[in-house]
Amino acid sequence: MLFPTITFAVFFLLVFIGNWLLMPRPRLWKPFILLASCVFYGWWEWRFVLLLALSAVANQLFAKAIERAATAAARKWLLAAAVAVNLGVLGWFKYYGFFVTSVVNFLGAFRLQADLPLLRIVLPVGISFLTFRVLSYVIDVYRGKLRTSSLLDFAVYVAFFPYIMAGPIARAGEFLPQLSGPRDPRRVDTSRAFFLIFAGLAKKMLLADYLATHIVNGVFTTPGQYTSLETLLGIVGYAVQIYCDFSAYADIAIGISLLLGFELPDNFNAPYTAISVQDFWRRWHMTLSRWLRDYLYIPLGGNRKGRTRTSVNIMITMVLGGLWHGAGWPFIFWGFLHGGAQVVEHRRVDIRKLRAQRGTDAFATSGGGPAAARAAGAPPGPPEIDTRPWGGGVWPRIGVFAFVTCAWVFFRSATFAAALSVFAQLFRGWGSVGASVTPVLLLVIAVGIGIQYVPRSLYERVEAGFSVLNPLVQGGLLAVGFMALDVLGPAGPASFLYFRF
Amino acid sequence: MNDRDPDKLPFGRRRRTAASALVAILVAFVLGVLLNAPAMKKTAMELPFGGQRSFRLALVSPAAAVSHWMFLDRPAEFAAAALGRPDPGPQPVEVVVVDTQPTPRATASGTPRPAPADKPLPKPYPGHPMHLYIAGDSMAGIPGMALVNLAKGTRLIKPLLDYRISTGLVRPDFFNWPAQLQRQAKAFDPGAAVVMWGANDNQGVQTSSGKVFQFGSDGWKKEYRKRVSDAIAILFANGVRRIYWVGQPIMPDSTYDRQIRLLNDIYRSEAKKRPGVRYIDAYGVFSGGGGGHAQYLRDDKGKMQQVREGDGEHLTYAGGMRLAEVVMAAIRADWLSETKPGAGSASPSPKASAKATPAP
Repeated sequence: MLFPTITFAVFFLLVFIGNWLLMPRPRLWKPFILLASCVFYGWWEWRFVLLLALSAVANQLFAKAIERAATAAARKWLLAAAVAVNLGVLGWFKYYGFFVTSVVNFLGAFRLQADLPLLRIVLPVGISFLTFRVLSYVIDVYRGKLRTSSLLDFAVYVAFFPYIMAGPIARAGEFLPQLSGPRDPRRVDTSRAFFLIFAGLAKKMLLADYLATHIVNGVFTTPGQYTSLETLLGIVGYAVQIYCDFSAYADIAIGISLLLGFELPDNFNAPYTAISVQDFWRRWHMTLSRWLRDYLYIPLGGNRKGRTRTSVNIMITMVLGGLWHGAGWPFIFWGFLHGGAQVVEHRRVDIRKLRAQRGTDAFATSGGGPAAARAAGAPPGPPEIDTRPWGGGVWPRIGVFAFVTCAWVFFRSATFAAALSVFAQLFRGWGSVGASVTPVLLLVIAVGIGIQYVPRSLYERVEAGFSVLNPLVQGGLLAVGFMALDVLGPAGPASFLYFRF
Repeated sequence: MNDRDPDKLPFGRRRRTAASALVAILVAFVLGVLLNAPAMKKTAMELPFGGQRSFRLALVSPAAAVSHWMFLDRPAEFAAAALGRPDPGPQPVEVVVVDTQPTPRATASGTPRPAPADKPLPKPYPGHPMHLYIAGDSMAGIPGMALVNLAKGTRLIKPLLDYRISTGLVRPDFFNWPAQLQRQAKAFDPGAAVVMWGANDNQGVQTSSGKVFQFGSDGWKKEYRKRVSDAIAILFANGVRRIYWVGQPIMPDSTYDRQIRLLNDIYRSEAKKRPGVRYIDAYGVFSGGGGGHAQYLRDDKGKMQQVREGDGEHLTYAGGMRLAEVVMAAIRADWLSETKPGAGSASPSPKASAKATPAP
């Protein structure tokens, strides 16, 4: 079931009423919301509801066993088994074909024949998100940060329909406590919810889908048909499209959850305003970034084991992050690029720190000190170190945006050859502008980037203004807004990009 | 989780009750339905003929009537007209008069051109490329893109890809391909056309008299043959010299595959009837070693490639390129080689012809 459809509107209306009617009775509410989530997920493919059920039961058993295990070694083995089972299921559905073709082609390069079975495996929507959700539960129970919940609570957490397809990756520790008692029907953040839902639909229908159909799909599949300027706009257009598409889903998911009384973590914070690649990952798909940080990067040792090991850990984290997005070498290379950029940024800051340290040492050995500093008119103590790899201002933002946008080319392309042909087209046809370059296209790209530079306070003022309106007026404004989206948007709903991940 | 104090929202934003939210949602829903009723009716009408369509229409039609009566359908209409967008409501289908005789366009000397398939094909040369029009549904999208890339590489063919998702020949009320073919052929003046439909045509068809035939019935077959024939006639009548009619590839679901084979049978037999139409058998191109559906196939260099998307139906780019190469071989043989093969409806590729579509 897709969000921007009348089917979902009817479904949500019924779920909303049932949600608040049953909320005072958790023993009824929980089965209700679980059933609604299964209907939502099963609308696409009912057989995969079974996968949800198996995942919930298996991970609950693992978590309970870990909690009850007598020894640390037993707990560790149980955790390893839980991780292996979850990643095994993910690997089967998502990476089997990639693995087998890679092995067959690798052996084929040495004239070795391998007859591994190649199967058609249908990828369940949102399985990557599901895997990370359930792993957060099991790992947090292992770490003692979370106590196991009831199977019903855990099943609601696993299947909660607003985020089931494409996140945000709400952690068990964030969501399960909200199930401990009924949500307060007198305190619903309706204004923010409506704003997020409408803004999400607008980003998806007016910006992302427009860019996809008018320039991006063409440039990435038939680059030879486009001029260099069109290609450039297609590449930038994809950066805008993927942001508008993915953040739209997250906005709608958060908005719908708010209307049901639940808070989900933010997933985006103006990522194209980032001043470094590290900063980009603090703003882009934030729930994935912190998942990778807390459940992969830090367990690997983080930055606690020296510079070289830190670099290796960053690379492992980002490459696996790339692989999480899709089974293909271009995804891995995309992760490699982002990892490499962050390693460079870390080294840059390290060198700066080292120089500052040397300066401080020289300062101390030369008889300097607070008194000398005061005498020289400088503040006492060692000079402050700028931990921003490229500083602030406009140029780092442009540089990071350019880097991220170029890296997206590999993310979007099916093969390296396809990515390189897109880049090559940038240098082949500057003789003309191209028919695809229209004022509307430029406007859409400008809006897609510009909305990230609008101060959050402005959005919050709009939300505050909307919140004091009579609900009849709120409903009327929303209806007119939806009509405008229907008129301006493309015919028929398009699937969200991140469903495939 | 955001770090805001839950009791203090920014700029005095107020939390409301769930009942207040319900009022807003209900108003948005009811008013939204009325404001968008024509578009919703159009969407319902575009569903395949059957129970679901009738049910949806029974729900939406009264809303559309109320909307019209209350003038609530006008804002969307005015907005669409002001923005140059198509009218959101259902529109009458433009009827294309099919001329079975080719347009007698005069040559420079004033003598009428002969029938398109009878005359030797003009060889394109640098500066005077052959215009290649590629049309179809979503199944034509990826192979169409691959074909565009191959065609551009020749520098002798100027391609135009025109694929429309979820379309076909049975539902001109959803997308009117005959009208589109006529428009594009007039505007682009193609020498050849590659067409690929059928993946969405396994549904009921409504004749001009209003009678609906369900898929696979004798009435359906007769009507569908007529539509295939009309599409060919429209292209020829507008100056197209060769049509490469690409059949559908093998499908993973046995029922769907049977339907596809029926469609392919119609395309093949209609192509056979006309000189100048070549049938390209995609079915065989994507069959595995045992003749069944294959998700992965080896390329010419022995490298294993995924040729079908996760749904097992749509083609990956590697699969699209595989099919495009077969089509391109036929185009090359007709337009770019010195020794021109006969203009029959044979499959040009040994790979394809070795495993032709089995009978449905």
